[in-house]
Amino acid sequence: MSFFEHVPVFSGKVLITFLYLLLAFWVIKRSKSFIYEGAPTKRNWRDLRFWALVLIGIQIALYLIF
Amino acid sequence: MPVYFIDTFIIVFYMGGILVFGLFFRKYVSTTEDFFLAGKMLPWWVIGFSIIGTNIGAYDYIGAAGGAFRFGIAQANYEWLGAIPAMIVSALLVIPYFWRSGVYTVPEYLGKRYQESVRTIEAFIYGLFLVALLGIFFWASGLMLHTYLGWPLRLSILITAVIVGVYTITGGLAAVAVTDVVQLGVMFVGGISVAIIGFWKAGGVKVFFANLASAHPQHLKVFLPLDNPDYPWLGMIFGLGLVLSPAWWCANQSIIQRTLGARSEWDAKAGMLFAAFPKMMVPLLVILPGFFALMFASPSEIANPDQALPWVIRNLLPPGLAGLVFVAFVAALHSSVDSTLNSASTLWTRDIYQRYVRRDASDRHYLFVGRVLTGCFVVFGVLFAPVTDKFPGIYVAMQNLLSFFQGPTLATLLLGILWWRSTKWGGLFGLTGGVASAGVMFLFKMNFLYVAWWSFVVSGLINIIVSLITLPEKPEKLRGLVYGFIERDKKAQEILKQKAEG
Repeated sequence: MSFFEHVPVFSGKVLITFLYLLLAFWVIKRSKSFIYEGAPTKRNWRDLRFWALVLIGIQIALYLIF
Repeated sequence: MPVYFIDTFIIVFYMGGILVFGLFFRKYVSTTEDFFLAGKMLPWWVIGFSIIGTNIGAYDYIGAAGGAFRFGIAQANYEWLGAIPAMIVSALLVIPYFWRSGVYTVPEYLGKRYQESVRTIEAFIYGLFLVALLGIFFWASGLMLHTYLGWPLRLSILITAVIVGVYTITGGLAAVAVTDVVQLGVMFVGGISVAIIGFWKAGGVKVFFANLASAHPQHLKVFLPLDNPDYPWLGMIFGLGLVLSPAWWCANQSIIQRTLGARSEWDAKAGMLFAAFPKMMVPLLVILPGFFALMFASPSEIANPDQALPWVIRNLLPPGLAGLVFVAFVAALHSSVDSTLNSASTLWTRDIYQRYVRRDASDRHYLFVGRVLTGCFVVFGVLFAPVTDKFPGIYVAMQNLLSFFQGPTLATLLLGILWWRSTKWGGLFGLTGGVASAGVMFLFKMNFLYVAWWSFVVSGLINIIVSLITLPEKPEKLRGLVYGFIERDKKAQEILKQKAEG
């Protein structure tokens, strides 16, 4: 762990933002048929990728603010 | 602390109301699917609220407020980094496979994917953990009623046991999930009331945070340095964010069971994602009281950080509101107790009784067993409750024991879903080897966040190595259980081709 002790805390913010962006990329790549599987209608608000991207956006903002 | 009539009235009204409301659902239970999976009728919004109601316990209130008092907003990592990414992965990767395979429990999926011994190990450990938790929950609940209202301790424990036990035994998961929604509402009303009063006393939100930033600047930093013994930022990201949190949100029976009771696969996925929105706001409930205590109390008034929240209730809240916040505590405990009861009953009935005691009985018989077991767990919890007080280390010991399993369980689950080549022997040796490695690391007094990460890595490596030197599983076994397996499954492709050709 001695190597990491010299890494500034700010790197944590960079790392977490990168991980969230990676997650967002994975979410976007989910197919529409998979996302809507079992949904009674295919309205836009039922697109779960949109829900996940909103969550990721808020999280990135919170980690950048604090 | 004085208790006003209005406070007692609110508490008694809540308890009576939740019992009557829970009992309403007994008429919908006639099969095991009704009892354990709410008849697969739960809509996404009930699942979402119920997941968060189950997730927040009274311990979280007190412990998290204490953590915020001591370390600041870094405590919120448990609600943000320690939940949201894992909930997204759970919703869009793991839950669809559980839902499609038609299982009732997480160990049941692992048994289908690997072998029965993996299922038994997981069911036994999580089943024991859930039952032991009940004693701790009952004790905490009784102690709260005894301390706040002055009711006799044993009577307080019995009241909680009767209220939660009756509606869980009669109404099953449907009663548990719907009462969770009400209980979460009560928790948020109580938490938001505390926030409003606190900000009002400080002179506004801006003034409060400006004062906090100047008096305790470190308390507004979400990541703390690596020499922090409890919240080192690297351990937070790797241990909490990448292992403990996904293990909780992807493999915890109490959480996953609600999604298995969804009316469709979309509702199951949407329920978990929807839960992430209130989850992000939980710091409002649990972090802010810690900050209020930090700013308004004198240092001599709070010797132990866990006294932060009780101090806020005693000193900031007027009569009526104190009762409401107390009800929020009770609701948090009730929602955890009912979910734990229902999940423990499901695990012991499906994975242990049905597998090892009586295999081919009627559905009616298993429904009866599920109800009897729920009743037995209530009685056990009541009897075990005083023991947890005599041995205060029990809760910590149980948490440590469970943390040995979380990394290896996650590695076993993820490899099972993502990698078709993972075999039954890879799963068994990966799980047991990972748990053994966690035990060794624990003996060397490694921080539990790093234990979680490294036991996850060790378990995954053992699984991969053993799988590569053992024979692959047959396609019939993997069908519907592994991500992307259909591309390798020639028989399934032929069927699809024939269907496409008409």
